[in-house]
Order: sequence, then structure tokens, then C-alpha cells
Amino acid sequence: MTTLLELDHINKDYRIRGFLDRSTLHAVKDVSFSLEVEKPEIFTIVGESGSGKTTTARMILGNETPTSGHLRFMGEDVAAIRSRAERLKFMARVQPIFQNPFEAFNPLTTLDYFLFATAKRFLGLKDQANIEAATDRALNHVGLSLAEVRGRYSHELSGGQLQRIAVARALIPEPKLIVADEPVSMVDASLRMSIVNLFRDLRDTLGVSIIYITHDLSTAYYISDRVIIMHRGDVVEAGDAKTVLGHPQHAYSRALREAVLPPDPVAARRIIAQRMASAKAAEARQPG
Amino acid sequence: MDGFSKYLAQRLFQFFLVLFLGISLTFLITKLSPVDPVEQSVSLMTSFGATDPRAVELMREALAELYGLQGSLFEQYINFWSRIIVGDFGPSLSSFPTPVMSLIMAALPWTVGLLLQALIISWCLGNLLGALAGYYRSNMLLKLSGALVMALHPVPAYIIGLVLLLLFGFIWPILPISGGAQMNLPPSFSFDYIRSLILHGTLPALTLVLGGIGSWFISMRSLASNIVTDDHVVYAELAGVSSGKIFSQYVARNALLPQLTGLALSLGGVFGGAVITEFVYNYPGVGRLLIQGIYRGDYSLVLGVTTISIVAVAVAVLIIDLLYPLIDPRVRLG
Repeated sequence: MTTLLELDHINKDYRIRGFLDRSTLHAVKDVSFSLEVEKPEIFTIVGESGSGKTTTARMILGNETPTSGHLRFMGEDVAAIRSRAERLKFMARVQPIFQNPFEAFNPLTTLDYFLFATAKRFLGLKDQANIEAATDRALNHVGLSLAEVRGRYSHELSGGQLQRIAVARALIPEPKLIVADEPVSMVDASLRMSIVNLFRDLRDTLGVSIIYITHDLSTAYYISDRVIIMHRGDVVEAGDAKTVLGHPQHAYSRALREAVLPPDPVAARRIIAQRMASAKAAEARQPG
Repeated sequence: MDGFSKYLAQRLFQFFLVLFLGISLTFLITKLSPVDPVEQSVSLMTSFGATDPRAVELMREALAELYGLQGSLFEQYINFWSRIIVGDFGPSLSSFPTPVMSLIMAALPWTVGLLLQALIISWCLGNLLGALAGYYRSNMLLKLSGALVMALHPVPAYIIGLVLLLLFGFIWPILPISGGAQMNLPPSFSFDYIRSLILHGTLPALTLVLGGIGSWFISMRSLASNIVTDDHVVYAELAGVSSGKIFSQYVARNALLPQLTGLALSLGGVFGGAVITEFVYNYPGVGRLLIQGIYRGDYSLVLGVTTISIVAVAVAVLIIDLLYPLIDPRVRLG
């Protein structure tokens, strides 16, 4: 087995310099996990804002450097990437997808320009026909085609379409790993599942591993192979997705699970009534 | 009608509506003034000795006709519009009988020359520094220049003006402090005259630049630092796009759009003069003319300066609105 990505006791501290005080924020504390090349999977990091999930993603992308610990991609230390050539080589294999599809492309230029630039930059293509073929292939994977995107500006498309194009851009270099930071939280609920299903397709047909970062337990439960739950920089629970999300052990993950709205309001009312009854009973036991 | 002509028609309608409302309002405001220009002129003329009351009455009527003050307010208003459409603001009441238009036309080149330069310099410098400071947020030199610009920003123009005047007029007297050019030189394209123009313009321009640069800097820096955290910039950084290209093509280009609107509005404002700066340096521009008009109750002059300024701002806004689709694809009309 070859290790695709390995996080080895990663820590990230931020120094907060106030006017009088100086303190340290431990954004990520001692996170370790690894992904294998031969076994593409959807690895989900669940957590609320401030849990350190985005910082972890930024470290995987090489946008932030861990304070301590090693982060290796295919055996190379990501923090050691300095030169532009190394950066390009790394990015050809690890691609990001961001939260806000409306910010994913510079609004002043047509989208095809960025897709072509990605093909030129990471695949080293020179011939326009090859560039267009690679772009079209990537767009086909997300259910679009170059003809639909050519000459369009980002404001002319919907959030769902833009997020698909952002996924297509990530696919152009034929990466091994995609880091998707909250990719569906700004997409309409009705389109969310189509993006999430797309990730599953990519894993199965292209063998891409996906690090899926989210606060949404339902989509996490739906597509993840493995999951870690982060809370204030700590990994509070890790393991197989169905086990972790089905039978959470840690108090925080149980609280998270209970915060998910039930699909059946009648059942929800019954549960609330039960809880209130038991609360009353507890009150009755402790008078005063 | 295609998209553009519909847009053009809409904008032209707005343009004329703004002109109509703005000028009408100015007309009404001057009518509310307690100073009666006819009485002022009459008292000025009769102060040298007793005059026949009947002659005074005739003089009143003649003046009222001359000033366009005959009839009811509505008649005056109609009369006012019929003259203003052909660019006639009537004679100045304080420099009678010179027409207001020729006073303004004499002052306009001074004002426009000075303010245009100052505006362009402060806009370019402020935006460049602001964009750099927003993008390279940890650069010490940029932080320092930012602090300096921010410190100057809230200082009123008359303070900056007076400080510069003291510094370069008295303590280290190297620059002229009053007027637009040397008095005894006739206007010409000679080296001496142009040199004197530049020297006289330096302090007022410096005052305007120092006062104006701050707002451009502050807004540009906040615009740029917002864009720096946008996902497309983060992606470009990760993809190894050179920082010079990210700065010019991603950050500066996106942040500049609202600043262009600001520039257009300020360009229109150029025609209203810089009242305080022109007053401090006794610069023969429109701003000084306006002050003179207000002090002497010369409301034809005030009305003329205000109208020119309203028209200039409205035209500038119209032009930038029509040019905007060329700059920003998001407002391109189909």
C-alpha cells in the first residue's frame, strides 16, 4: 500500500497579538490520519466553525504551515514546497474546491479562460485543440460541456452550475486528491445532493480521494467512507462513517447528532414531549 | 428597442430629471435668502446723497427687470429657465454689469487646471498605495505610509493649507502663497509664465492632494483586502500564479471598479471649485468666486456656479454609467 496523504501529529497555533495581551490559539491539536492510494475514499472532517477543519484543509493544500508535526503527500513534506515548479507539480495532484461558488472565479474574465489556463498550467498543454479536449472531458464528468461554458461569465450562471465548473476545474489536472471545503453549504438544498453524488462518482470512476469538509451531518453520513469529528482543534471521534455517525460515543458528537432536524415532525414532537416529561419528572424528584 | 438603447433612454431621463430638480431647488433656495439684491443696489446708489423718490422707484423697476425679478415667483421661474437654457445667468449683481457667465468662464480654467491635477494625482497615488497595502498586508513600509495617510485624512483642508502656507511661505519661503500666477506677467506660453503658474499652483495642489489621498487610500485598501480573501485569489495563489499578476489582474482590477465611479463623481465636482483651498491661497478659481458671491449677496453668481456644478456632476455620472459596461462584464447589457 502506498500512502497518499499522511498527517502525522499535526498542530497549528496562531499567536493573537492584542494591544496589551498576547495569547496563543491552538487551532488544530495533534491531528493524525492517512489516506491510501489504492483505496480511494471520501474522508470527511465534520465540525462547527472554529473547530479547526478549515485550517486542516489549508495545511493539506500547503496554504498554511503546521506549527509542528509532518504533513506528507506521496511521501513529500508539503511544508517543504517552495519553488513554483514544485508548487505546480503538487497542485497537479491535489486540487481545492471552495465554499463560495460565486467567488471561485475572477468575475471580470470568462470562465473558459480559467479552465484553459488550468489545463495549460498543470498539464503543460500547448496546442489549443488538446487544451479544449481536456477541458471538455473534465466538464463532461460534472454533466456539462465546453459549449455550455464557453464565453460565459460567472455572474451568468447559477451557484450550482458554478460549483460544478469549480469541480471540473479541479478535475482538469487529473488529481489524486481533492480537498473540498464546505463545497455545498452555499448551494441550494435541491442541488446539494447532485454535487455530493458527483463526489461519489468521481471516487468510483476516476479513483480520486476526496477530503470532504462540512458541518452538515446528513450529507456526511450519506457519502463518507471514514469520518473524523473535530471540536475546538481536537479530533473527538474518528473511524468508519456509519459507526461514528450512527453511534457517536463522545458527548460533542452526540450533541451534534441530536441537533440534526428529524425528517418526521410527528416523531419530533413525540420526542420533545418525552423529554419534557422526563425533565418534569427530574424536577419533581428534586424539590426546591 | 434593444437593451442598450433602453438603458440609454432610461439614463437620459434620469439625467434630465436630476438637472431639473437640482436647478429648481437651487432657484428656490436663493429666493428664500433674506437679502434683496434690488434694495442692496438701490441703497448703494442712493447712499451718496438724496435722490428724488420717483427716480428711486423707476430705478427699482429697472433693476428688477434687469435681474429678472419681475412678476410672481412662477413667472420668474419660467423666465429663469428660458434664460438658463441658453446659458445666460444674467449680470452679476456684485460686479455689475459683467455677465455671470463670463465671470465663471474666467475662473473655470484656473479651478479645473488645479483640481484636475490634484484629483488625478491623489486618485492614482491613493489607489496604488491602498491596493498595495491591502494586498501586501505585512509590509512595514506600506503600513507606515498607511498610518501617515490615515493621520492626514481627518485634518481639514484649511489646517493643511495654513500649515503649508506657514512652512513654505514664511519659515522656508520658496513658494508663492497667493494668486494664480505672477501679477505683472501677461498670460502667454512663455517659459516664465508657465513656471510662475506651476509655482503658484504647487501649494494649493499639495493641499488638495494631501487632503484627498486619504479617502481613496482607505476605501481601496478595504476593497483590496476583501478581494484578497476571495476564493479565486486563494486558488490563484495556490496555483502558483505570480504575485505581480495576482495583484494587477485579480486584486487591483476588481477593487478598482467602485473607485472609478468615485473618480467620475469627483471629476464632476471639479467644476464646483475647492472653496476653502482657493480661499486660503487667494486662487482665482470658481470656489473663490462662490465665496465672493455669497458674501456680497450676489445670488445670480451663486446660482450660476451651483448650476454649472450640478450639470458637471450629472454629466460625469452619465458618462461613467455609459462607460461602465465596457469595464465590468457584469453590467454588460444584452
